[in-house]
Amino acid sequence: MRTLTGRLVQILLAVVLVACGGTPGEATDSSPTTAVAQRGGAAGTIRLYTSVTQDTVDAVLQGFQSSNPDVKAEVFRAPTGELNARLAAEQRSGGVKADVLWLTDPLSMYAYDEQDLLAEWTPNGAEAIPEQFRTERFWGTRILNLVIVHRQGLQPAPTGWQDLADDAYSEPVAFPDPAFAGSSFAALGYFALDEEFGFDYYRALRANGAVEVQAPDEVITGVAEGRFSAGMSLDKSVRDAAEEGAPIELVWPEPGAIALYSPIAVIRSTTNEEAAQALASFVLTEPAQAAIASTGWQPVLPGVEGPPMPTDAEQVFPDWEAAFGRQDELLSEYRSSLGD
Amino acid sequence: MRRSRGWERSGRLVVGLALALLVGYPLVRLVLAAFADGPEPVLATFERSGIARAVGNTVWTSAAVTAAAVALGTAGALTIERGAVPARRWLRAGLLLPLLVPPFVAALGWTAGYGPGGVLDDAVGVAVPQLYGPVGVITVITVNAVPLAYLIVAGALRGRAEPDLERAARVSGASVRTALWTITLPLLRPALGASAVVVFVFSVNSFGVPAVLGTPAGFETMTTVIYQNLAFAADPDAFTRVLVLAVALVLVAVGAVAVSDAVAAGGRVRRTGGPAGTTSAHVTTQGRWAAAVAWGYVGATSLVPLVALVLLALTRAVGLPPAPRYWTLQNFADAVDGRTLSSLGHSLLLAAVAATLLVCLGGLVAALERSPAARRLGTLATMTFALPGSALAVAVLLAYGSVLADTLAIILVAYLGKLWALGHRPLAAAVDRLPGDVHRAARASGAGPATTLITVVAPLLSPALAAGWVLVFLFAFHELTMSALLYGPGTATLGVAVLNLQQLGDTPATAALAILLTAGVLVGAAPLLVFRGTWSRLRRVD
Repeated sequence: MRTLTGRLVQILLAVVLVACGGTPGEATDSSPTTAVAQRGGAAGTIRLYTSVTQDTVDAVLQGFQSSNPDVKAEVFRAPTGELNARLAAEQRSGGVKADVLWLTDPLSMYAYDEQDLLAEWTPNGAEAIPEQFRTERFWGTRILNLVIVHRQGLQPAPTGWQDLADDAYSEPVAFPDPAFAGSSFAALGYFALDEEFGFDYYRALRANGAVEVQAPDEVITGVAEGRFSAGMSLDKSVRDAAEEGAPIELVWPEPGAIALYSPIAVIRSTTNEEAAQALASFVLTEPAQAAIASTGWQPVLPGVEGPPMPTDAEQVFPDWEAAFGRQDELLSEYRSSLGD
Repeated sequence: MRRSRGWERSGRLVVGLALALLVGYPLVRLVLAAFADGPEPVLATFERSGIARAVGNTVWTSAAVTAAAVALGTAGALTIERGAVPARRWLRAGLLLPLLVPPFVAALGWTAGYGPGGVLDDAVGVAVPQLYGPVGVITVITVNAVPLAYLIVAGALRGRAEPDLERAARVSGASVRTALWTITLPLLRPALGASAVVVFVFSVNSFGVPAVLGTPAGFETMTTVIYQNLAFAADPDAFTRVLVLAVALVLVAVGAVAVSDAVAAGGRVRRTGGPAGTTSAHVTTQGRWAAAVAWGYVGATSLVPLVALVLLALTRAVGLPPAPRYWTLQNFADAVDGRTLSSLGHSLLLAAVAATLLVCLGGLVAALERSPAARRLGTLATMTFALPGSALAVAVLLAYGSVLADTLAIILVAYLGKLWALGHRPLAAAVDRLPGDVHRAARASGAGPATTLITVVAPLLSPALAAGWVLVFLFAFHELTMSALLYGPGTATLGVAVLNLQQLGDTPATAALAILLTAGVLVGAAPLLVFRGTWSRLRRVD
C-alpha cells in the first residue's frame, strides 16, 4: 500500500522537477558570457522592470548591449497594473529585485519616489531634457501625446479639445477611462487642474453623449469602425493605424496635445550600481533616442528627429506634482461630474 | 482492512498537503497582506462610492450567467449525448468552440461581429447596440461558460446516468418530459451543482468582457474595479484595495459554493443500475429539429464572432471593409516572432503538466472514501479559482517568491492553485455516484488499490477525467495575468507574448494571434478525438 503512495509521490515530484528544472537551465546554457572585452567598465547582470512597449524596449536594449557587451540586461516587461503588483509583492517579501525601473507615465514613479525606492542619482545628460519632463531622481525618455482622432472626412473636423464637447457629430465622442491607466489619467490631470477646462469640461462631454472606453486603442478601433465620430488617443497609435490604411485622421488639438513622459530611474537597492547607471544614462544618448523615435514615439531630447508633427505643434502638460496624491479625489470628482 | 486504512491515510495526506501548499498558504498570505495596515483600509474600501454597486453588479450578472449557461449547457448535453441527432461529434465540437477561443479576444470577436460597424452591420445592416452594457456582458460570458457546463453535465451523463431507468420509465408510460424531470435531472443533480459552481465562479472573475463591453455603458464589476486599482497600485492604499476586493471576491464565491452544496446535499442519489449504455444510434425527425436549433446557436454565438475575428485578422487595418483588396497576411507575421514560439513551448508544457497533476490529484480524491471532508476540500479549491489572477499571483509571490521566483515552478504553482477547482469539480460530480459495490467487489476479489484504481475506477471516471484535463489544459494555455506577473528571464509564457502584442495596440495582429492559437489547439486536439474514438471502439469490443 505504501508503495503506491510512494510511487505516486515520486511521479508527481519527477514531473514537477522535469517541468521546472529543465527549461531555465537551457536558457542559461545557451548564453555563454565568457568574452571579456573591457569597454565602459560596467559588467555583470542587471534587471530592468518596465511597462514600456516591447518593440521600444527591444530597440533600446539592442543598442545598449552592443555598447556594453559585458552587461547582461534581463527584462521583465508587463502592463503597468501587473508591474505594480509585482513590485508591491516584492516590496512585501524580501525586497525589489529590479535595478532599473522604466515606466509608461510619471504617476507611479512619483509614488515609488515617495517610498524611497529610487536612487539619488541623475545622469549628466539629463539637463538637456525640457524641465517639465524630469525630476531629481527620474527623468523622461520618450513623450506620449494625447491627440484627437476622427473618422476620415468628418465635417466639421474638430480642431481643439473644446470641439469634442460640441454636439455637431452624429456618433458619440470617445475617450479612455482615466481610472484604467496612468496615461489616460494624464488627460484628467490636465483638464481637471486647468482653469480653462476644469471638471466643467467633463460635464460638457457627458452632456454631449461622450463614451468612456477602457483603453486608448479602443478609441481608435471604434472611430475606424464608425462607432465613434472622434475621440482622444495616443499619437503613435493613431499614426500607425492611419499608415496601415485605417479610415481615420489625426488632429493636433488646440490648445495643445497633452504630453506625458515615460520616466526611468535607478533603484536604490541595486547591487550593481555601475551597470544600472550605465543602462539608465544610455537611454539619453543619441542612438537610444533615435531608437525610440524609430518605434514611433517622440524622443525626449529636443535635438533628435522624431516622428512627423505639425510645425509649431503645441503641447500642454499635466501638473504631476499637483496631481500626485490627489488621484483618488480627482477620479471621484471625475465620476460625479459624469453623473455616474 | 488495516492495510487499506493506511493507504487512505497517506492518500489524504498527499491531498491535504497539496491543498495546504497550493491554496491554503497563499490565501493566508494574501489575507495577511490585506490586513497589514489594520482593519481601517479594509473598511474604507467598502465605503468608497461605486464599490457596493460593483459588488451588486458582479453578483447579479454572475447569477444570470449561471442560470443561462447551466440551462443551455444541460440542454446541449441532453440533446447531443442522448438525443437522436445527426452528426453528433461535429455538433459537440461546435458547442465547445468558445472554449478554444482565448478569452482575451472573446469580446473583440463579438464587437467585430455584432457591434455597430461590425461584420453583420456591414453585410446586412444589423447591429446590436445592447452589446455594450449588462446585456452584452451577460450574453458573452454566458456563451463562453456554456462549454464548462456542457462538459461537466455530459461527463456525468456519459459516465453515470442510466438510460435503463429512463427506458423503464418510458416503457411504463411516462412522457419524455416526465422522464426528464423525474429520472434524468434528479440523477444529474450533482453535476448540475458542480457546473453551477464552476460557471458562477468563472463569471465572477471574468475581466476582459466587462472591461470592453461594460465600460462604455459605465457598468462596473468587481474585477474591473480591481483592475483600475491595480493601475494605481504604486500607491499602497490602492494595492490594499486590490487585495481586499480580491478577498471579497473569494467570499462571494464561497457563498455560492455553500448554497450549491446545500442544494446538492439535499438530493443525493445512489447509483442503482449497471454501467451506462450507449446512446440511440438512429436519427429521428425530432433529433433533426433539435440539431438545427443547436446549430443555429453555434452559428450565432461562435461562427459569427469567429468569422469576424478572421476577417479582422486578414484586413490590413481596423475600420476597412473586409474586401479582398484590403486582405493581407502581414498581421499573422506580426503576431509571431521568435519569442512567441519559445513562450508557446513553455505554455504547452505548463498546461500539460498542470492538467495531468490536477487530474491525478482529482483521481486520488476519487479513490479515497467519499466523505464530508472531501466536500470541504472542494470548497477550498474553489476559493483560489475565484481569485483574480493578479491577486493570486501576488499571493503566490508572497508565499514562494523568495524560493521559486523566476522559475517555471512558480507559474505552475499558480496554475495548480487557480485551476484545481476545474480539475476537481467534474470528478467530484462523477465520483459522487461511483458505485461503491464495484470498488468493493474488486478489492474483495484481491485487487490492490492500484489495480482497482486503474481497472475499475479510472475507466468509470474516464469521461470526467478527460473533461477535467481538457478544461485545465485550455485555461492554463490561455492564462494571461498570472504568467505576465510571475515570469522571469527565460520563462516567458504565451500570456506574456499576448499582452506584449496587445499593448502595441495592433488589434488586427492580436486577432491574428488568437486565430493561430485557436487553430493550433484544434489541430492539437484532432488526434485526441481520433484516439478517443478508437478507445471507445475498443471498450465496446469488451
